[in-house]
Amino acid sequence: MKKTFSLLLAATVVVFSGCKKNSEASSGGNITSTPAAKQLTIAFLPKSKGNAYFVSCAKGAQKAADELGVKLIFDGPTDPDPARQNEIVENWITLGVDAIAAACENKEGISTALRKAEAKGIKIITYDADALPDARSFFVNQATPQGIGYALMDEAARLCESNGEFAVITGSLTAQNQIEWQKYIEERRAAAYPNMKSDAVEACDDLKDKAQSETTALLSTYPNLKLILSTTSLGVPGAAEAIKQAGKTGVVKNIGLGLPNENKRYVHDGVTQSVILWKTEDLGYLTVYAADALAKGALKSGDKTFKAGSLGEFEIQGDNIMLGKPFTFNKDNIDQFDF
Amino acid sequence: MDTDKHGFKNNLLRHETILFVVLAAEWIFFDAIGRNFGTYDNTCDILRHSCEIGLLALAMTPVILTGGIDLSVGSLLGLCAILFGKFWRDAGMPIPLAAACTIGIGALAGGLNATLIAWLRLPPLIVTLGTYSLFRGLAEAITQGVDTFTNFPNSFLFLGQERWLGVPAQALVFIAAVIFFWLLVHRTTFGRSFRAIGFSPEGAHYAGIPVRRRVAMVYVLAGIVSAIAAIIYTARLGQAKADAGTGYELFAITAVVLGGTSIFGGVGSIHGTLLGVAAIAVLHSGIAHALMPGEMAGMLTGVLLILALAGSILPKTISSLRARKSTPRLAKQIP
Repeated sequence: MKKTFSLLLAATVVVFSGCKKNSEASSGGNITSTPAAKQLTIAFLPKSKGNAYFVSCAKGAQKAADELGVKLIFDGPTDPDPARQNEIVENWITLGVDAIAAACENKEGISTALRKAEAKGIKIITYDADALPDARSFFVNQATPQGIGYALMDEAARLCESNGEFAVITGSLTAQNQIEWQKYIEERRAAAYPNMKSDAVEACDDLKDKAQSETTALLSTYPNLKLILSTTSLGVPGAAEAIKQAGKTGVVKNIGLGLPNENKRYVHDGVTQSVILWKTEDLGYLTVYAADALAKGALKSGDKTFKAGSLGEFEIQGDNIMLGKPFTFNKDNIDQFDF
Repeated sequence: MDTDKHGFKNNLLRHETILFVVLAAEWIFFDAIGRNFGTYDNTCDILRHSCEIGLLALAMTPVILTGGIDLSVGSLLGLCAILFGKFWRDAGMPIPLAAACTIGIGALAGGLNATLIAWLRLPPLIVTLGTYSLFRGLAEAITQGVDTFTNFPNSFLFLGQERWLGVPAQALVFIAAVIFFWLLVHRTTFGRSFRAIGFSPEGAHYAGIPVRRRVAMVYVLAGIVSAIAAIIYTARLGQAKADAGTGYELFAITAVVLGGTSIFGGVGSIHGTLLGVAAIAVLHSGIAHALMPGEMAGMLTGVLLILALAGSILPKTISSLRARKSTPRLAKQIP
């Protein structure tokens, strides 16, 4: 047994000493010294790979990559291990990619890996969920809290003809993003729609069941309700189910933030009028265009606008590239989207 | 363990040898098709990425040798990581003291497993399934699932992210652990007693082995090693959160079993476990560098496990089948 082990040990040493000495490892770093003919490689990291939201982002990313003639690598975690994103980024560093576009699951954790990549000359851009600001050049911001709050309130007012009572279902009363959205909804209501009245704000703890029971309670407490507005994606189908079961389809309108697939059925039944989010394909498309421009040196800090292929000009606020106004999915267009 | 009698041919068929050939084949294959796979930088990255699971697998080997199992190591890693963060940030301890306290917590948690298993004689699977939930639940309760510890000093992050003497800093800790566990399992009476207990606890007891103390020892060791892994994990990611190390216990068990340790206890080796860890780590890195989709890693790990086990068991099965062509044993097994 001893003999076998020392044999194995000797063989291990032989194999590992055969390692190449980083001959091509720095290809990500010397973009300036290589001629433009070299095909760029852009790595695109989702929070998790099986998520339809990110699959849809990747579709737009691939479209941009095809147009630009760059090689796109799409890979992300398939298990809940929070260290996985770091490992993927570190593998991309040794692989020698030119740019990394990341949607960050753990802000602080992944920033250590992104900084390391940046030190090796790889350009870093984040999208969907930002890293720490010193770990990336730009963040492609899909929507500001103000944009979301205003879009929700405008849509609510449009459906109610700027007049009447409504109630809000929120995910949680303590979550920072929810509080901010709520603030902008109220700001918009007070400024633009004085004849609309917000009866209540109820938390559904990001549970569909709870959203349903809260809505049922709201419908009986406030008989004059004209609309339910959810600021959480699970609130919209939950509220829809309650409205449907109360027999108030079409009488009480239902809108909110959400994913098209979860709401298609209710939208077609006329229970839910509109779902608000952004076009995820455009988010992926813009991200890859920006990553490409960053790697080529065409996008620099201080730029005020950025042109992304067929989507045209986008505004840059500081180091945030703005995707623009949220998009409204309704009966006419919801079937074109699959996420 | 009858290799000396049967000589070279049997050595070739040994599980470790087969696994080593598989590992070498993996290396050559990915080096050929992957970009920048065989570089020194990437070798260091593979080492860095496999340190925590490697440590857990090392500690898991004696546990499984005694016929036990420890499902709580991944959860304990998470608990230790956030407690380490708490000691440092909230209690204001210097890093070395926080690390020492964390290791103490690891030993205590291992001691809880040990008490329940060795003295109350509860089945290890049930006990550690319980502490698996308990430790993760505690970690989530302490942080409410959202509190994240970060902004550790660079001198600490060095342990997880930089190289020292040309190798990743945490690899030195790993190598020290390998030497410790190899000596423990293969060069001391402790190691022999673990195997004896794995074969037959009663037999070991009548042979004068302090079974309870030995069994307790392997679980306490597993706790201590989980705490060390937690500290390295925190240094590598630069963050400690309640979900640290999710699922690591299964990776560790897979590596141990792939390395030829019998899940029923009694048979196994530390170098086998090392090869198991390496085979899985090289596979994961290779798939990334060959630009294959990441989910292939899970599939191929499964295939590897089945092939490696079949490869070392099949020759024995065939020869034993040949030896008793006329007496089908299957009929006898049905009571």
